[in-house]
Amino acid sequence: MESKMINTETTHKGYFKKKNRNQMGLIILSLFMLIYGILNLFPFLFMLSSSFKALGKVFEYPIRIIPETIVFNHYVELFSPKYSFMRWYANTLVMEFSTIVLRIFIVGITAYAFARLRFRGRDIIFLIVLAALMIPGDMTLVPRYIIYKFLHITDTMWSMVLPYTFEVFLIFLVRQFFMTIPFELSEAAIIDGCNHLQVFYKIILPLARPVMSTMILFTFVWAWNDYITPYIFITNVDKQMLSVGLQYFQALYIDNYPLQMAASTLILVPVILIFLIAQKSFIEGIATSGLKG
Amino acid sequence: MKPTGFSRLSIRRQEEITGYLFIIPFLIGFFLFQGLPFIISFIISFTDLQFVTNIGSLKFIGFKNFITFLHDNTAVESLGRSLLYTVLFVPAIMMSSLILALILNKRIMARNAIRTMIFLPYVSNIVAIAIVWQLLLDPRDGPVNLLLQSMGMIHLPMWLVGGTHIVIPTIVLIACWQGMGFNLVTYLAALQGVPKELYEASEIDGANSLQKFIRVTLPMISPTTFFLTITSLIASTQNYSIVQVLTKGGPGEASRVFPLNIVEEAFTHSRLGYASAQSLVIFTILILATLIQWKMQKRWVNYD
Repeated sequence: MESKMINTETTHKGYFKKKNRNQMGLIILSLFMLIYGILNLFPFLFMLSSSFKALGKVFEYPIRIIPETIVFNHYVELFSPKYSFMRWYANTLVMEFSTIVLRIFIVGITAYAFARLRFRGRDIIFLIVLAALMIPGDMTLVPRYIIYKFLHITDTMWSMVLPYTFEVFLIFLVRQFFMTIPFELSEAAIIDGCNHLQVFYKIILPLARPVMSTMILFTFVWAWNDYITPYIFITNVDKQMLSVGLQYFQALYIDNYPLQMAASTLILVPVILIFLIAQKSFIEGIATSGLKG
Repeated sequence: MKPTGFSRLSIRRQEEITGYLFIIPFLIGFFLFQGLPFIISFIISFTDLQFVTNIGSLKFIGFKNFITFLHDNTAVESLGRSLLYTVLFVPAIMMSSLILALILNKRIMARNAIRTMIFLPYVSNIVAIAIVWQLLLDPRDGPVNLLLQSMGMIHLPMWLVGGTHIVIPTIVLIACWQGMGFNLVTYLAALQGVPKELYEASEIDGANSLQKFIRVTLPMISPTTFFLTITSLIASTQNYSIVQVLTKGGPGEASRVFPLNIVEEAFTHSRLGYASAQSLVIFTILILATLIQWKMQKRWVNYD
């Protein structure tokens, strides 16, 4: 302790200088990163500003981020019944809602059983289930197509909802959280005569709000952005989802860049808003799953 | 209340039965949507299955699909393009996300805002992203090339409409831009988990910043590096969506990567068996790559 004190005393001046230099370095680094961050967002800025530009004004040089004349027309047009755009929006929302409801229930009780109930073979079953995380989804497109045909769920939103519901990663995430809830709580409830279903929704579910909201967030974002599943399994234009719908749209209005940009913006807005509001729980979810995995 | 059959059982026994009841719905779905597809893909890889309706009359043809694959130039070339994609993507995203995480781990201003800016593409819809990048990188009218031109560049890059050696790196660049957020956030969490005492101890030993990075930071975050390498590797083989929305495999076949080839064989040419066999090829390569990583991890991954 003594020697340390003396040490800081003697090098105090040098330390101060070094600190000042560090401070300067940090400011420069911050500015550099800020510029990088804004450049990183440039595609979004370009999209937003182009969506308000008149036809033929998208490729101006030098680029104007704020359009000369602001045109709202494209957005108004997108909502007109001439396009299926609103239909795809509705389809996607219904699909999202069904997935989320099913997931809360199925993932919830499965994770509850794996985390908090003792039964023979539990750990080995869990390991087998976890092994499925190694199978890349794109690899099984062909057999999934065959199975969905037999179940008659191609061309319906169930070809998305059902596979989503039984995804392994979320079981893992939720189970990890359930294991941290004190076991005394559920034991006391069982002695009071509750059954496990009651314990699950009266005790565990309210306490697990953070992990459940992370799960809902992940679900919303992934399902909203999924492209390959609707592209392969849904061919009916009226039943299509936004991702693929946007692509149809682009092909149909190939030269109308502002309209394409307005449609793209409308797809991004809900997800980006939700992300900005709930980013803490989203980012923590990724960080914890990454560190534990 | 009168004890019914179930509640007469002991609590322990009730728990056991409830456990099975709770996992059964999941296990059925899991089998139907994950296990069964995996098993079927193995089986039909060795058959001549073409249309789903023919499934009753399929014939086992042994390794014929795999032999056909070896002589199928389009398929082998597309596997080569996928390899190029992976070789570019994995190191690029690993290094850039580590560098960004190291910077963001310092006490810089507005770090949360900057993190959000880098993360935003990760939650964005890939089709929307593709449309805007197609416009930005338009070789004639796109803002990027107009900027390069005004800076005096004469041979402007063709980006998404160039040959294989231009279009694949361009897609990789966009994929890195989009996927960066995940790696960055995971790395940041790992960096924040490195105990401060270790840095202090090495400072007392007189280590400079570079030595601290090599002796303390890198070994301490090596489990995360290992995890991210594997997930990035898997992500790089799952590039159907991004390539399809950006170029549809074009121009010509310049960016026709392996997953695009498989989907076309399966759903355009209705060769389900052959397409499945190709999936099995990429799966085998992926498993081998993961196993090699796993074996090598002892040498560089530090788990204390």
